[in-house]
Amino acid sequence: MTTRLKRILLAGGVAFLGVVFAWYFVLPRLQPHVFSGSVIQSNERAPRVDLQASNGETVRLSDFDDEVIVLYFGYTFCPDVCPTTLTKLADAVGILGDKADDVQVIMVSLDPERDTPEMLAEYVEHFHPDFMGVTGDPAAVNRVATVYGVYYEKEEGTAATGYLINHTATVMVVDKDGFLKLVLPFEGTAEQMADDIDFFL
Amino acid sequence: MSRKLIIRSAIPAVLIIVAAFAFAIFEPIQVLPRIRLSPGFLLVDQDAQSLTSEDVRGDIVLYTFGYTGCGELCDTLNATMREVQTRLDEVDIADDVGIRFVSISFDPEADTPEVLDAYATSVGADGEQWAFATAEPDHLANVVKAGFKTYYEENDEGTFSFDPAFVLVDGWGVVRGEYRYQTNASDADKILHHLDILGEEIRNAHGAAGLAYEAAHFFLCYP
Repeated sequence: MTTRLKRILLAGGVAFLGVVFAWYFVLPRLQPHVFSGSVIQSNERAPRVDLQASNGETVRLSDFDDEVIVLYFGYTFCPDVCPTTLTKLADAVGILGDKADDVQVIMVSLDPERDTPEMLAEYVEHFHPDFMGVTGDPAAVNRVATVYGVYYEKEEGTAATGYLINHTATVMVVDKDGFLKLVLPFEGTAEQMADDIDFFL
Repeated sequence: MSRKLIIRSAIPAVLIIVAAFAFAIFEPIQVLPRIRLSPGFLLVDQDAQSLTSEDVRGDIVLYTFGYTGCGELCDTLNATMREVQTRLDEVDIADDVGIRFVSISFDPEADTPEVLDAYATSVGADGEQWAFATAEPDHLANVVKAGFKTYYEENDEGTFSFDPAFVLVDGWGVVRGEYRYQTNASDADKILHHLDILGEEIRNAHGAAGLAYEAAHFFLCYP
């Protein structure tokens, strides 16, 4: 082999490795994160929640300093939408692994008349032991749901289920500094949710 | 490494930085800020039908607030709503995105569906694209005061003090424009201009163009 050929091969090899390196390590980092949810850039802090947990204490967003708060609005009698979302959120927390220590999932009950704090705690912990449920008097719940963009309305159910509640099924993400950053759609997968939440960790 | 090589490799980096500054200064793309989440609501419209925040999801909505007994101030607000509606052909929005108008009354006691219906007809609202609606008082306060950040207070004589406002909300339920103060430019002109910017962003929401529009948000390229 001539020296010239050796040099060409060597240069080709180095160039190839360079391309591989750039493709797998540099480009993915240069690419901005594409959110599956819709982004909000409010310069106002996320609205107060101030509802009661199962131990009777008032839960404030400021209690979770340095944690990303994932808010969901549902109710324990919910037949399909809430279990689906809570299962996805539990899976998302699983995907995040150790990082999920800095994530607090909170479900706000839209059915304060039937959901006692104890029922609520039992319900959310069924999906993940770290999940938290909060409720309050109907006026307080309406105030919180409304400012978080959640519509809800009682709807006729069957004799077995009692009334149902038609409600907005989005998930809100509040960053560590207390700003509402993201609204995740109901259709999102656990992977997409984990990916979006991870951005704020 | 030779000096030449260092200079040559520095050129792309400098170019990128200059491009970023140029983008931020000259704002080749303008976007409306994502101000806050629009409230969730359950209203009753002029046909006694419920009108919810989920019904309007996917559509761009212009909201205003008032009551049928308010007189001149509301005439101005209604005139602006009507002007924006009639001049909609001036703006270019994606075909699958609707534009709606909702006037929320904070006087549910007097403004029954029948009263709202008659009022809507008198101000030239069709009830389809432009609806009048109200809700029960507590929910209304949550929606208008806490959600839309618009002040109103009932006076003794059944009249209301309130701050006239228009709020523009996108199809994702995010407030994109607030028009609260009378300025020299007409509100209708401003709102139509902003609808145009919003339409531009919606049409370019995907692929490389989408990233450029996200960059515009990042660099606060706001009109």
